[in-house]
Amino acid sequence: MSNQNDFDRLSQRLNLSRRSFLKGTAIGAGTLAAGGLMEIKYGKEAKAFAYEPYPRDDQLETVVTSCAHNCGSRHMLVAHKWKDVIVRLSTDDGRYQKGGYFGKDGNEEPQLRACLRGRSYRQRLYSAERLLFPMMRVGKRGEGKFKRVSWDEALDFVARKMIELKNKYGPTAILDQSYAGASYGVLHKSDQIEGLLGRFLGMFGCRTSSWSVPSYQGTTSSSRWTFGTIQDGNEDDAFAYSKLMIMWGWNPAYTFHGGNTFMYLRMAKQRGCKFVVVDPQYTDSAAAYDAWWIPIKPNTDAAMMAGMAHYIFTNNLQDQEFIDKFCQGMDEGTMPDWAAKSPNGKENFKDYILGKYDGQPKTPEWASKICGVPAKDIKKLAHMYATTKPAALKASWAPGRNAYGEQYSRMAAALQAMTGNIGKLGGCAEGVGKAWHAEAVAYPYDQYSNIWFASIKSDRWAHCVLNYPNVRREEIGLWPRQDATDGQIPNIKGIFWQGSDWFNQLTNINKEIKAIEKLELVVCMDSTITPSGLFADVLLPVATHFERHDVALPWYKGHYYIHRPKVIEPMGEAKTDFQIFTELAYRIGGDVFGKAYNPKANRNYFNYNDDVDEAYLREWWEGRVMHHQGVEMSWEEFKRRGVYKFKLPRPHVAFQDQVEKGVPFQTPSGKIEILSSELANISDWTKTRYGYHIPSIPKWIEPWESLNSPKTSKYPFHLVSPHPRWRTHSIFNNCSWLRETYEQEVTMNAADAKRMGIKMGDIVEVWNDRGKVVVPVYVTERCMPGVLVIHEGVWMDRDENGVDRAGNPDFLTLDDPSPAGAFAYNTVLCNIAKTNLEHRPGWDKLATARSHVFRREHRREL
Amino acid sequence: MAAETTRPKKDTKKIRAAIKRRKHATYTPVKPDMQLGFIHNNVDCIGCRACEMACKDKNGLPPGPRFRRVQYIEGGTFPEVFAYKVNMSCNHCAEPACLPTCPTGAIFKRKKDGIVDIDSTLCIGCRRCEAACPFGAPQFDPEENIVKKCNMCVDEIEAGRKPYCVMACMMRVLDIGPIDKIWDGSLDTVAIGPHDKVVRQVKNMADIELTHPSIGFVAHSKGKVE
Repeated sequence: MSNQNDFDRLSQRLNLSRRSFLKGTAIGAGTLAAGGLMEIKYGKEAKAFAYEPYPRDDQLETVVTSCAHNCGSRHMLVAHKWKDVIVRLSTDDGRYQKGGYFGKDGNEEPQLRACLRGRSYRQRLYSAERLLFPMMRVGKRGEGKFKRVSWDEALDFVARKMIELKNKYGPTAILDQSYAGASYGVLHKSDQIEGLLGRFLGMFGCRTSSWSVPSYQGTTSSSRWTFGTIQDGNEDDAFAYSKLMIMWGWNPAYTFHGGNTFMYLRMAKQRGCKFVVVDPQYTDSAAAYDAWWIPIKPNTDAAMMAGMAHYIFTNNLQDQEFIDKFCQGMDEGTMPDWAAKSPNGKENFKDYILGKYDGQPKTPEWASKICGVPAKDIKKLAHMYATTKPAALKASWAPGRNAYGEQYSRMAAALQAMTGNIGKLGGCAEGVGKAWHAEAVAYPYDQYSNIWFASIKSDRWAHCVLNYPNVRREEIGLWPRQDATDGQIPNIKGIFWQGSDWFNQLTNINKEIKAIEKLELVVCMDSTITPSGLFADVLLPVATHFERHDVALPWYKGHYYIHRPKVIEPMGEAKTDFQIFTELAYRIGGDVFGKAYNPKANRNYFNYNDDVDEAYLREWWEGRVMHHQGVEMSWEEFKRRGVYKFKLPRPHVAFQDQVEKGVPFQTPSGKIEILSSELANISDWTKTRYGYHIPSIPKWIEPWESLNSPKTSKYPFHLVSPHPRWRTHSIFNNCSWLRETYEQEVTMNAADAKRMGIKMGDIVEVWNDRGKVVVPVYVTERCMPGVLVIHEGVWMDRDENGVDRAGNPDFLTLDDPSPAGAFAYNTVLCNIAKTNLEHRPGWDKLATARSHVFRREHRREL
Repeated sequence: MAAETTRPKKDTKKIRAAIKRRKHATYTPVKPDMQLGFIHNNVDCIGCRACEMACKDKNGLPPGPRFRRVQYIEGGTFPEVFAYKVNMSCNHCAEPACLPTCPTGAIFKRKKDGIVDIDSTLCIGCRRCEAACPFGAPQFDPEENIVKKCNMCVDEIEAGRKPYCVMACMMRVLDIGPIDKIWDGSLDTVAIGPHDKVVRQVKNMADIELTHPSIGFVAHSKGKVE
């Protein structure tokens, strides 16, 4: 029947739908999960995706769990399942916590409602790209050809190869590129510094680690110098008390930073708080909070802030009492005695701003020429900020992902301090923004947790591999060591990816592609076949957080724990990371290594992990949460309810005790260090992890590329690549529900487009010396002229000439980090033109052609 | 292979009987005892589309049909620009344009709460309702060859809860309630702020006189209709 054939074709075209997927999996998954999956096909109540009648909640089992990625918040997901299949997800509705009821919400125990990414999770869990079996490469590296192998074969290969590399090339041969993609569980943790992989490789005795954090290293460095900690954040309900909120490059409508931040900001708006957004784009946050939009040239934020500082100092609007009491190096009066004799710390901030050292006062007019913001607006904003109390300057991460991005973060901290808005309710010292401190570790945490034999800036691995051994330590930001190996360049010959799609996510991908060809072992552990995975030698299928037992932590703000039971059995032959490392440890070092790596387990852990995981988690809950944090709820009750929400006695504000009770800041001086004691006393920069000179006070430093540089004659546009709303970095890129609501595109100013004859929807190429990508264009008045925006994280798809047809901006980014480690993701000049090159969005747009109508209609034709 | 698994079998006898019944019936609009409707704050909505994803997931929809649609509206000239969102699913209209177009009488309006729903066992996928609706609510599902749409999660409402989209809203700017209370501002909901006024018509939607949709909005200054 032709009708039938048509339908088959259609089904194939829609292969991401769960119904057809489940069919495929049920056959593919074989014995493991067959029972649950097969039965949903016809059984009346078991129709997982029936439109009518719905399986109602009382027909399904309800399990509280959470989402799990490196996204900006951590929300509750409630799985409704039939046998071993999750039929749908809902979220917190107030019912689950102790004393809760349907609809309970509010400041004290707000609902933890999941975002669009979390809500689409079933599409990731049951996606066609799900990795179900161990696989080994059969084609050329990066070609994407694999064969299915047994766990035995895969693990033996990895173990043998690891030993070979260590013996042949020494203890720096394996690069740890674990990242936070499968993180934020207390037990199963992927992490750059101290996760499960770091501990495994460290114990094995062969590990080069990556120390700079791609998203926010500039801010991290700044907060460590200035405040001595990265816990410079308020809990999100504190924002409801601000009278002025300056959102500097901050777009929580996209990033959902902090579980309920955006909701509390709305509360602030209703109470009369004024909003300002400093950003090259008029973001959805700007719109929702009715903000005064100040468009600014990318990479020039520190100059504008210096102009504001000048206005505040020259009009004597600073909070001098606060400065005198809490700051070091803000002005001449707060300089420490030792500074005059220090190698790098003779200058104070105020005199720098007034131009005493270089003869250039950093006036608003001076700043205006650099940042493109009219001087009168700089003055107006400075006046507002200095005279409105309390006022929050929320200095976001994105403007710090730049050449000298740390100077922007430092400058922001100086403004926060000089206006006395630190440690006060309604003020803000962020920064990094980490607030309430959770008990984060249930996995074995001991002297082996962070052993490394070399540590480099994370975006320099390709440079290191390609140029070894002719690499100077400062080029790769080598972390100093206290032994004879200090300064030794790592001889990297293998990479491990755990919870990490870094190959797709780090800068200058074309350079990475050259470098990876030189490696002898590439292992990718993931639950999805990622673009990184396609370059691996071995793919190890990892259970998702629905398929293992854990407890979720708040990511950034929020004070709660969410239980994360094993909702369903692992699909295919997936195992947890912890199982894989434990088994590898047994294979490499027998009982000695195996037992040391996972003390509560024996070798059977690879086949059965429930009791051991439960034991770790119970120990964590009873020993740390109940004992250290004074929680009275038992582990059993916590498991039954699924969530524990802390009630804080007052909104948590960073540094409140320092300001109110005189507790010293965690810096060497005990003060807010506008003049950094650490930096002031450095004379040989090559021996530091920074590699190059950093001023001890915040300064404006011209970036390598910007709209002010001569390179604009060849590349007249500045590209920024913010975090998208529809993905967590590269995760969820393959979810069709999300894909039909957006396009991976380049955003461009309408006047620029008109001048260049580019229209909405045209396919364009965006390029510079480092690479070229092909994308459709979105033309808008909401983006400032000269700026292009492509969101990071889309899965790369190269043609034979190395042009990326999917539009991954990291083909264009620089792999030169800032001295303090800030990735220069947003320091990119490029050009744009209409093109006939092929664009491949990476999914079937026809399948959802109709729904695209609803994207952005009723728009003036541009 | 096994394509019959994805398309439910139709009971043709039942459908024939329904068509017959439908032919002889005179159309009289249902006057509900109480009409439920949606309220959406166009200004405070951040446009995150968690509501859309919750809806797709709840209803098990393939790519294509979207019961709930958040429209992104923008305008102005750099740097004087504005943007807001208009969020709609089915408006469960007082005079639903879809209902009388249905040849099998599959579309019905509930007396109890005015919810407009489709009996999927009677839908033959002719898509007339889709063309009739001025708000784009009925959505064709190519997998099952029928039209589907928002039914305000009747199962949730009957369980004493609210629809998935409302319970998904991270900003708490989408809610449901008796539509009279929404329009006169007496509904107890955080979707409407302390200084907000509710309107029935905004720009970027069809004339409400067509079907009298059961929806209220907090309008953006640029989205107001004089």
